[in-house]
Amino acid sequence: MTVALESLTTCFQGLLPAQLFTCSADGIPNAAYLSHVEYVDSTHVALSYQFFNKSRRNITENPQALVFVPDPDTGQGWSLRLRYVRSETEGPLFDRMALRIEAIASYCGLKGIFKLRAADVYEVVHVEPVAEEVGTLRPPPHLAAAAAASPIFTINALQTLSERIHCADSLETLVDSILLALEETFGFSHSMFLVPAEEKDVLVTIATRGYSENGAGAEVRIGEGICGMVAEARKPIRISGLMRGMLYALAMHREAQQPESARKRIPLPGLANPESQLGVPLLARGELVGVLCVESEVPYRFHEEDKASIELLGSYLAIAVQNMLLQERTADNVTEPAGTVQPAAVVAPPPATQPRREVVYYTADECIMVDGEYLIRSIPAKILWRLLSAHAATGRREFTNRELRLDKSLNLPEWKDNLESRLLLLRRRLEQKCPQIGLAPCGRGRFALDLRCELALATKP
Amino acid sequence: MIEPDLRAFLEGGLGIHIGTRTSRLEPNGARALAVKVEDDQLHLLVYLAEVAARRVVPDLRANGAIAVGFARPIDERACQIKGIFVDARQAVDDERRLIEQQVDGFRGNLEHIGIPRIGTTGWCTWPAVAIRFRATTIFEQTPGPAAGTLVAARP
Repeated sequence: MTVALESLTTCFQGLLPAQLFTCSADGIPNAAYLSHVEYVDSTHVALSYQFFNKSRRNITENPQALVFVPDPDTGQGWSLRLRYVRSETEGPLFDRMALRIEAIASYCGLKGIFKLRAADVYEVVHVEPVAEEVGTLRPPPHLAAAAAASPIFTINALQTLSERIHCADSLETLVDSILLALEETFGFSHSMFLVPAEEKDVLVTIATRGYSENGAGAEVRIGEGICGMVAEARKPIRISGLMRGMLYALAMHREAQQPESARKRIPLPGLANPESQLGVPLLARGELVGVLCVESEVPYRFHEEDKASIELLGSYLAIAVQNMLLQERTADNVTEPAGTVQPAAVVAPPPATQPRREVVYYTADECIMVDGEYLIRSIPAKILWRLLSAHAATGRREFTNRELRLDKSLNLPEWKDNLESRLLLLRRRLEQKCPQIGLAPCGRGRFALDLRCELALATKP
Repeated sequence: MIEPDLRAFLEGGLGIHIGTRTSRLEPNGARALAVKVEDDQLHLLVYLAEVAARRVVPDLRANGAIAVGFARPIDERACQIKGIFVDARQAVDDERRLIEQQVDGFRGNLEHIGIPRIGTTGWCTWPAVAIRFRATTIFEQTPGPAAGTLVAARP
């Protein structure tokens, strides 16, 4: 081999389709297109076997193949002369390729339709540049600009991120500082963080960066879209350019067909024209504690080193998030002995000049609407309703996490209640939709209801 | 055999690749630039850069078997035409405009899916060689279970 296969990893993103040339036993050539060539190791690649087509038939008769893969950074085409070795129907390689196909199908609303029959492994016998596909000497300007905007990742960047993780004193500062660091360190300016919701098989967004809407409370079903697929597979997923563009159009089509009720849900924030997406699961001791997703309008934005770095960051972050939740719960127990209830703090009613907001709790749906607009549902809604009701009845303003945990009406799980993430979600939704109601931290495990409006509370079935 | 609708598709500025093979059944391939369907709806001229032609024309002269794949990146529509090589010659200046038009169309297609034109400006387009062949079979190749279906044949 004249060129190291490792140096061509950027070619294996499916940004431009690859070409597969084969030949039957009776000498008839075949020229087909491939969406993706998977890098296996320094001497092997794999091609997906989904349909028993002519190329596959030819390979069973004649194991020689030729593949062209373009380098999306430079435009240089590369020719890989291959020899079929084996087909894998299980194992890490098969799983990785099958997951990619599932992620694509999920975007198309066709999850479960396309099946990978096998990962066909080929030995790479020879590599050389394609003479007629001459690359530019430097990456195209859009990639150069992206590279310039993003300082080259080094171990120092990981140290910076690690320090931010160690310095965070709450889930909120932890998540926000990481999303900020992703932008400052890598130039990843559009990111989001989701955690498992109390509802089974649902993720809920608790923090985003780079979008006009903060998207807090936006839900994604496990298995849907890149975030849902990452959670389901518990493996990182990266999608680049061409494939994403095709999928986006299909996703738009599907969106147009959604029923009215679905549009009332909080939309997941996202770029209007995303070209690259990268999602990683946050796994701590086998438990999924969240999903981190970054996206970009640049077709091939997340390179190999970016992917490796975000995966590494994800493993740190997962443990940090889990530790933060455990730490806050433990701190609650230490600072608030069992049975302690905060004395009621009576505050003066808001001045008459302040706006009046109508807050309605719908008991059947367990959701809250403010002035007729959807705010939040489920446990965060029950928490808010409890706080507002207590304030209306007694004038109390300060509350503790511990008393929420002890309140059976909230139905929080005995263990791993994720209360901090629910409060963070509630705070973010209020900031966006009803800033006159605030939840201000006032010490570990304590927060205060900050009202800058007159409230009219009502319940409806 | 090549109906007007298909002809319009083929000549609309696509990704085009030529597949050939050696006497030892080793596959060879090259990127092509443009295609012209002759009025008999049976013969095609496929244009490719001279540097690319050097790899595949010897195969064609030796055994005559050719496969040409066509794909439109914006919707993945694709087909493949197989046939018998007739001859190859240097493309003349009068044909350069046709080549440039179709290459420009292909780059426009790529632009629609986020690949800037500058990413392919280094690709060789001239001098070019014209390969003439007679189509014998046409296959559907749009991704999916129908890929590989025989659309038309005239042995």
